[in-house]
Amino acid sequence: MTIKSIHGCIGCKECVKSCPCDVIRMEHGKAVIAYPADCQICHLCRMYCPVDAIEMAPEKSIPVVLPWG
Amino acid sequence: MTAPNDLPSLSRREFLALSATTAGLAALGLTACADNHVEIDVDAVTNADHSTDVLVIGGGMAGLFAAVKAHDAGAATLIVSKGRLGSSGLTPFAKGFFVFDPATEPGSIDDFVAAVSRSALGTNNPVYTRQLAEHSLERARELRQWGYFDQTLANRPFMRPIDERKIPLLERVVITHLIKEGGRIAGAAGFRLDAEATITIRAKSVILCTGAGGFKPSGFPVCDLTHDGTVIAYEIGAKVTGKEWNDGHSTRSNNPAACYDNWGDMFGRIPSTNGVEVHHDLGMDINYRAYVMGNPVEGGPGSAQPTKAVVGGPYVPEEFQRSGPPAGGPPGQKGGAPGGPPSGKGKGGAPGGPPPGFAASANVGGASAGMAIHKSEGLVPTNDRCASNIPGLYAAGDALGSHMAGGIYTQIGSSLAGSAVQGAIAGEAAAEYARSVTAPSISAARIAEVKNEILAPLRREAGYGPAWVTHTLQGVMIPNFVLYIKKASMMQAALAYVEELRDHHAPMLRAANMHELRLAFETRNMILSAEMKLRASLMRTESRCSHYRLDYPDVDDDNWRAWINIYRGNDGVMRLEKQPFDAWPEQA
Repeated sequence: MTIKSIHGCIGCKECVKSCPCDVIRMEHGKAVIAYPADCQICHLCRMYCPVDAIEMAPEKSIPVVLPWG
Repeated sequence: MTAPNDLPSLSRREFLALSATTAGLAALGLTACADNHVEIDVDAVTNADHSTDVLVIGGGMAGLFAAVKAHDAGAATLIVSKGRLGSSGLTPFAKGFFVFDPATEPGSIDDFVAAVSRSALGTNNPVYTRQLAEHSLERARELRQWGYFDQTLANRPFMRPIDERKIPLLERVVITHLIKEGGRIAGAAGFRLDAEATITIRAKSVILCTGAGGFKPSGFPVCDLTHDGTVIAYEIGAKVTGKEWNDGHSTRSNNPAACYDNWGDMFGRIPSTNGVEVHHDLGMDINYRAYVMGNPVEGGPGSAQPTKAVVGGPYVPEEFQRSGPPAGGPPGQKGGAPGGPPSGKGKGGAPGGPPPGFAASANVGGASAGMAIHKSEGLVPTNDRCASNIPGLYAAGDALGSHMAGGIYTQIGSSLAGSAVQGAIAGEAAAEYARSVTAPSISAARIAEVKNEILAPLRREAGYGPAWVTHTLQGVMIPNFVLYIKKASMMQAALAYVEELRDHHAPMLRAANMHELRLAFETRNMILSAEMKLRASLMRTESRCSHYRLDYPDVDDDNWRAWINIYRGNDGVMRLEKQPFDAWPEQA
C-alpha cells in the first residue's frame, strides 16, 4: 500500500511539497493519499512530516515489473 | 490501517459498475483505452507569462548551483522545478560528496584523471573529469556554509542561498516544451500541478538541470525523473549522448519496489565527503550473474559470497577487479552505492535500523532500469562550459552527457559533486551568454500553439491511460534480456514495440487532471528515451563498461573509441552518429 496511512495531520503541506511523485494532495485542510500507484516508497514525506503522522508499508499498490524473477 | 478517506473515492454506482477483479486496477489508473472523464474545465485553464535572463529548470544539486552562480554573475534568474528544491530527483537520496583536497590526497589531479580513464576504458571526457576534481573542494565549502552537511533533509540548506539572494522559485511546475526562436533558445513552457494553469517563460538562456531518468522502475528513487530535459531539448534539435550505458543499481529481493528498504537508513543520514576512490562499479556484472545463474538470490548477487564462478560476462580491467562479493552491495559498504558515503553515520530518519516491517534481504540487480551512468547521458556538451549545440541552451549534472565519470561508475561520490561543479560552471556561462543577447520574443501564435499541445491530453474524449502505457513500456524494456544483457534480435523486437507506442499510443495519451497530465508527458518522454537506448545499444557493436552485448562480448578499440550522439534529422527521424573520444562536436 506504499504510504500506509496519514493520521494526526496538522495541514502543514510539507509532505505534499516534498513528495517527488505528487502522491499526496490536500483535501479539507488535511493531507490525503491521492495517487498511491505513483508512490516510490522513498519515505521523504515521512521524513519531512513534523509530527510523524505518516506510516509507510513496503509493498507497491500496483503490480511491479522486475528485470528478473 | 488505512483510513477510508485516505483513498480516492469511487461512488457507489461507479464501484458497482466495476467487477471485483478490475475495480482495484481501474481505480489506480491502470486501464487501457477508455473514455476520458475530465475533471477540469479545459477552456478555463489560464496562462501565466514570466520573463528572465537565465531560466534554471530543475531543483536538485545542479539546479541549486546553476541558479546561485547565474544570479551572482549578475543575471536575473528564475528556477522552476517539477518538485521541491532539494526534495526531488536523485539529490535527496545521495549522501556522499566527492572532494579532491590537494592537502590530503596522496596523488595529483593528473593521477586521479588517469585512474578514472583507465577504469572507464577511455569513455570519460578527461576535461570534465579534471574539472570535477578542481572545483569540488570549493563547492563543498559553500555547501558547508549553507548547512548542507549538518542535516538530513536538503530543502532547508538549499533554501538558504536562494532566500538570501531572493531568487524567484516556481515549484511543482512541469516543463513540457523548450522554445527556440531565430535559431537560439527563447524560453520554455509547461503547467502547474496545483492550479489549472499553463506557464510560459521567456528567457535569454536556459540551463537544464532536469536529471536523468528511468522507466519508473522498482527499487530506485528515480520515478519522478523521465529524461524530460533530454527529450524536450532533442525536440528542438539538441544532440543527446550516452544512452547505451546502464546503471546497475541493485534492490532487495523482498519488496523490491521499496526504495527505502533497498538503501536501509542511508536516506536518513547526514551527507559526508570522501576522497579519491576509483572503481569499475555498478555495471553489468551483477545482472550478468543473475541472467546466467537463473536465480538472482541463491548463490547469486547479494549472497554473502558467490559460491559459483560464472563464465564470460563483462570485461573488468584487472586493476579494478575486486575480491569478495560482487559489486552492488548495500549502501554503506565500501564501494557500494554511488552517492553513498564510505561509512554510515546513522543520524535522524531511522535510528537503529529501518522502520518496522522493513528488513534486509538479498541484493538483486536492475533497480534503476532505464537510467544510464550518472553524468554520462544527456545533452552533448560542445565545450567545457556545459553548452549544448543550441545557442543559449546549457545543461548540468545528470542532464548533461559530459561523460565526467565515463560509461561506468568510477569515482565514488562524484555524482553529487559533479552536479554541484557543473551547475556552477553552467550558471556562470549562461549568465555571460545572456549579457550578449537581446531579450527573445515569442509570438502569441507560438504561445497559443504550445498551450494547445500541453492541454491536448485533457481535451481527448478517449485515449490511452498513461499508467497503462507506462506499464506496457516497462514490460518491454525492463526484463534483463533487453537492456542489461543485450543482443540484436531482442533489441529489434523491443524496438518494434516502442515504435508502436511512439506512433500510435503517445499521440492518444489521455489525462483527466493535472496529475495525469504530468504522467502523460512523462510517459511520452520515457517512450522516446527507450527508442534512444535501443538504437544506441544496437549501434554499439561491442561491449564496454556498462554496455554488455552477448553477440559482441569484447571491447573493440579499433572501431569503438567513440561516443554515440543522437539527434533528430530534418525529416523528424532519429539519427545517430559517432563522435571520437577526446573530440568535441562541431558547433551548429
